[in-house]
Amino acid sequence: MGLIQRIIDWIDERAHVRELYKSLMIDYKVPKNLTFPYVFGVFALVTFVIQIVSGMVLLLYYKPSIADAFDSATYTIMGEIPFGWLFRHIHATGANFFMAIIYLHMFTGIYYNAYKKPRELVWIVGWLIYLVLILTALSGYLLPWGQLSYWGFIVTTEIPGSLADAPIFKDFFKAIAETIVLWMKGGYVVTDITLGRVFGSHVLIYPLLLLALVGVHLYLVRAAGISNPDGIEYDKKKHPDKFVPFHPYMTLKEGAYTMWYLAIFFFFVFFHISHFLPPDNFEPANPLKTPAHIAPEWYLLAFYEVFRSIPSKFWGFVAFSALLLFLLILPVLDWSPLKSARRRPLFFVAFLAFMYGSMALTILGSMEPTPLNAKLGMIFGAVVFGFFLSLPIISFIEYGWYKAKGGKEQ
Amino acid sequence: MTPWGVIKTIIFGGSTLVFFFILWFYNPFKHVEHYEVDEEVKEIIENPWKKVDEKSGKTIADEGRELFIQRCAGCHSLRYDGIYVAPVQADPRWKKVEQAAGRPVYRFGVLYKDRFFVPRDVYEAFAHEVLESFKSSFGQVPPDLSTIYLARGEGYLYRFILNPNEILPGTSMPPVFAGPSAKEETAKVVAYLKSVNTPPPQEQTKRAIMGVAVILYFVIFGALFWRYREVVLRRLGYH
Ligand code: HEC
Ligand code: HEM
Repeated sequence: MGLIQRIIDWIDERAHVRELYKSLMIDYKVPKNLTFPYVFGVFALVTFVIQIVSGMVLLLYYKPSIADAFDSATYTIMGEIPFGWLFRHIHATGANFFMAIIYLHMFTGIYYNAYKKPRELVWIVGWLIYLVLILTALSGYLLPWGQLSYWGFIVTTEIPGSLADAPIFKDFFKAIAETIVLWMKGGYVVTDITLGRVFGSHVLIYPLLLLALVGVHLYLVRAAGISNPDGIEYDKKKHPDKFVPFHPYMTLKEGAYTMWYLAIFFFFVFFHISHFLPPDNFEPANPLKTPAHIAPEWYLLAFYEVFRSIPSKFWGFVAFSALLLFLLILPVLDWSPLKSARRRPLFFVAFLAFMYGSMALTILGSMEPTPLNAKLGMIFGAVVFGFFLSLPIISFIEYGWYKAKGGKEQ
Repeated sequence: MTPWGVIKTIIFGGSTLVFFFILWFYNPFKHVEHYEVDEEVKEIIENPWKKVDEKSGKTIADEGRELFIQRCAGCHSLRYDGIYVAPVQADPRWKKVEQAAGRPVYRFGVLYKDRFFVPRDVYEAFAHEVLESFKSSFGQVPPDLSTIYLARGEGYLYRFILNPNEILPGTSMPPVFAGPSAKEETAKVVAYLKSVNTPPPQEQTKRAIMGVAVILYFVIFGALFWRYREVVLRRLGYH
């Protein structure tokens, strides 16, 4: 005891870690009434760490060249390297769980209106994380060089190409479209150069960006203070009874939830991998053989369904981009200071429509493109657009009610 | 929790679970073709590692491999198990290429000293003329079958090999097995393809035990965490 204690004291005298620990973990207070969905941010953090660690192991054996990519993943990593399969399973599961958790995290933020003052920056940085995360997932998906990888990549790079279908300024849009597609592919055809660029982005550029953005995100969450499910900003000084120390109150709760989350995670890793390493991707990429049905991964299906159910490619692309943009400007669209679906009945209903609309779009996107499917896609697409566009009005009505009941300015 | 809280939990928790069940377990809205293996030969594909001859230790997969070399390797390679198309294999220079550019096949902890894994570009460069001649006779190079089991599944493979034209109308792959033993031989080849892509039973058991241990660890550790939290919070005077 004595020696270790002295070493710790020696370090602490120079690094002042105890002070830091006390201010970050114990003096930092969070609302006592946080609900379960507030844990998704922590799950995202855990999954991020899992991805980095498992990715580092895969990086040791993966070879980013067209001749070797498929074999290095499917022969070397899955068969030759002890426990290589385990790390590939973990990384594939992690990618899907990461996207799922991020969506749950975002829907939580929307439900409790955590994007409103004073948390707009938290939301905006979160949105940037979401964009980079999609890029990370897309680039990673190309690496095993299977049929799905290859054709998924081709289809995705061609989506910005639909700008060329513009009804006006055709030459202008066409030039932009060609430039973007060329830039994404790194040339007119997919070659080793493309694969090398995608590889470099996936293993270094995007993860570094994510690391930086997540750091800023966490700092901002703490700077602004975590939101309250009641939608009321309690003052920490005036209502100390409504707050608890982050440690041990939150850490132990979230620690337990994280363990159970990992239990589910590893169920997929060991016993249910076929949806994350799909059979079709065990056929090596063949540029001469187009598969019958090409669709993006599930986390983009909602956007994809909106895109493909609109007859004009150009307007499909505009709708696709508009959805992303609406997410970014949520704090503006939903302008009133009233927070949390708990005390906003209209918003609660709109949120339900939005949630089920997104789910329906995702499932429609996984089906074959029949005319009925396209019609349903239009309807649910309209529901999702309706959610965003009705927010200013909902804000207006609810704020009116609030004032009429004698509510104070917040 | 209030009754309204319970209802909301059911709405949100329930629909999230149903949604991910559809995405990650079973999607009733998505059409998937289903192929069945004939009842009488199911057992053969079930366990490719089963010994057929106790004395030599020969397995069903070994028999399937011999059949594959005799009947399929004229057109198909299976690089992950060191099988290359017959004209290449017959070329005396190929042995040297295997030694120089390849490495012995090693899979699921077993080393096969007599088989070589050769990188795809090296093989395709060496076999260029052979593959080109295939292309002109069949319209395409018959695919390497290293991972076809994972890509297609056993039902599809069984039906396809037994009668290629039934599954892919107009295909240039001919039916290979005919006569009374056709089903059995087909099943043996499929069993072999399976053995290349699936860990053998003892390895599968090891993985399953590992999986159960990891999951139990997290479940139990989580519960202990939870219990510990209650103790700590009581001591600190929260509820
Ligand atoms: C005469 C040459 C030839 C022989 C012998 C041959 N194949 Fe083929 N095989 C082909 C060709 C050509 C194709 C490509 C067919 C296509 O895609 O239309 C093919 C395709 C396949 C496929 C892929 C089907 C798919 O869905 O993509 C499998 C599996 C297959 N063969 C298995 C076998 C097996 C097992 C044997 C031995 C029992 C065998 N083949 C013998 C020529 C041959
Ligand atoms: C790598 C990805 C991410 C990580 C690791 C992460 C992590 C976290 C953590 C730990 C918290 C605090 C706990 C919580 O409220 O859940 C948080 C809060 C928050 N996050 Fe994220 N997040 C990520 C992505 C996103 C994205 C994509 C968005 C939205 C576009 C977002 C929006 C928010 C918001 C609005 C809050 C504040 C919640 C509140 O105060 O109630 N985050 N994040």
